[in-house]
Amino acid sequence: MFFHIVLERKIQLHPRYFGPHLRDKLVAKLMKEVEGTCSGRHGFVVAITGVEDIGKGLIREGTGFVTFPVKYQCVVFRPFKGEILEAVVTMVNKMGFFAEAGPVQIFVSNHLIPDDMEYQAGDMPNYTTSDGSVKIQKDCEVRLKIMGTRVDATEIFCIGTIKDDFLGVISDPSAAS
Amino acid sequence: MSLEPFNRLVKLAARAFYDDITMKGDNQPKTGRGDNRGIAVVVLDALARRQWVREEDLAKALKLHSKQLRRILRFFEEEKFVTRDHRKESAKGAKIFSAAVAAATGEGHQTGKEGEEKVKMHTHSYCCLDYAQIYDVVRYRIHKMKKKLKDELDSRNTVQTYVCPNCGKRYSAFDALQLISFTDDVFHCERCDGELVAESDKLAADEMGDGDDNRSRRREKLKDLLKRIEEQLNPLTTQLSRVKDLPVPDFGTLQQWEARASAAARGYGEIDPNDANKSSQVPGYGGTPMPSLGDTKVEVDLGGGVKEEAQPEGKPVKAKVLPPWMIKEGMVLTKEQRGETSIEADASQETTIDDKKQTDMMDDKSLKDEYYKAYYDAYRAKLQETQAIKQEVRVSASDDLFGTTESSHRQVGMKSKRGHDDNDDVEWEDDQPTVDTGNAGTSYKLAADLNMEAKESEEEEDDDIDWEEG
Repeated sequence: MFFHIVLERKIQLHPRYFGPHLRDKLVAKLMKEVEGTCSGRHGFVVAITGVEDIGKGLIREGTGFVTFPVKYQCVVFRPFKGEILEAVVTMVNKMGFFAEAGPVQIFVSNHLIPDDMEYQAGDMPNYTTSDGSVKIQKDCEVRLKIMGTRVDATEIFCIGTIKDDFLGVISDPSAAS
Repeated sequence: MSLEPFNRLVKLAARAFYDDITMKGDNQPKTGRGDNRGIAVVVLDALARRQWVREEDLAKALKLHSKQLRRILRFFEEEKFVTRDHRKESAKGAKIFSAAVAAATGEGHQTGKEGEEKVKMHTHSYCCLDYAQIYDVVRYRIHKMKKKLKDELDSRNTVQTYVCPNCGKRYSAFDALQLISFTDDVFHCERCDGELVAESDKLAADEMGDGDDNRSRRREKLKDLLKRIEEQLNPLTTQLSRVKDLPVPDFGTLQQWEARASAAARGYGEIDPNDANKSSQVPGYGGTPMPSLGDTKVEVDLGGGVKEEAQPEGKPVKAKVLPPWMIKEGMVLTKEQRGETSIEADASQETTIDDKKQTDMMDDKSLKDEYYKAYYDAYRAKLQETQAIKQEVRVSASDDLFGTTESSHRQVGMKSKRGHDDNDDVEWEDDQPTVDTGNAGTSYKLAADLNMEAKESEEEEDDDIDWEEG
């Protein structure tokens, strides 16, 4: 799920940037540092939408670096247990398949895949129903439900299922007809 | 307090869940002389018939080895069916416990043994059924059983675990990222690179392979299991619902129970100060006997019987009829214990203070006979000592006499001792010589006199004298 929240961070700036465009340089550095990262608590920071406040800079002793506390608004993404997501299949394995929903990786193990789908090895390993109507392979879009999340300090990993109603393949990569 | 439905619950639960528990260790041959399946049921049934019981006693009663019994009890302690208490006590303390048990079950009476004072502390273990927990535990167990099946049915088992057959390391599905290998499409162990095996906890998954019919077969199996659970546990569940609204029998901790039981034992008429003193000397006993007797509050109903409050639940409150060979001379027993009439209340004896605690309703004559006999014996002794001052003798005699004999047997509404005193002064002096000479004759005579005296005074002074009774 996406959230729009205010976060704070201390940015260190090298003295070479102390000039008329100090603020711009600061914001640029913030974006470079923060966007795309993940914190266990807030989730993945997708984009910074604005800078709220920049506090007074503090000169560090010994080095000439200056630390600015910056408050900024950003969009974060955090998956929750029970959430339904669409994801793109990245790898199919005998033990299940891996899918990505943006920055988060989800693993669907084979016992959470409906029993009528069987694994088929090959150069394009996939899961197929017995009548061949539904096929899960690389680059498929699937709708899945998050069963559990594991949150490290800088990483979030999920387990998903497609065994419930309305879950499973949405569209095929081989867009037939 | 209703033990019966709870005992039935315990028995049903024992037979439902524990009837094939065998207590032999795994390294012992099970088939040699037969293993002891179902022994757990026997133990639970025995515990249902008792309250707090010493484990050695239980072992003896059940003819089990105490080690085996201990193993079984440990098992049940872990299952939360039984509470255990281990405490160090000397042999005396153990005797007190036996007495308490006897009182609780209404059999026998304490053997007061003035033993030698070698205070060796052994650890005695006691156990008791914990009804409140049993109720909860049984409900929880059934709930978990059904939930497991339902989850299986709804395919709600979530996180898969993988085990490496080589090194036995376990992984969860969350670690799947680190386990993928690019060579083949199976997970490999991080350490030994062995192929991981998915661990399935499916109850009905004993067939290999997937398939349409397999899935439906599994569902059928699960549904069938669920149905069978319902019908086989039906008597247990009905008993649970019956018991749901009843107050749970609670025996308290070992100390509390023992205190109550020994108080009741004393109350039932065996007033043996020796025992009381002895038990109060026992170290580590918690000083239960005499001081705790103050716990039992007594409420007096003028013109009626006496109700003793704080009657603990779960205690059979009837004094048993003592067999004739048990009735010794000088034992002040209630009529009930002599097998004559039935009484309703307990007696508590506070012999230290001149409390006028009323206890039973008793028959006039026999009470008085006994009372006066003892009274005069002691009085004689006293007279021989202090013959100087009439009043002193009178007062102190009355105090002492009444103090040393059991004070508790007076009838409600009857004149109290003081009244007797006032009226009987003259008589005593007159009777002095005769008292010295003959025992039986005089005492009866005196008793008769006093009886009459008492009756007279009763009529006269009933209204005037307001003795606080309690």
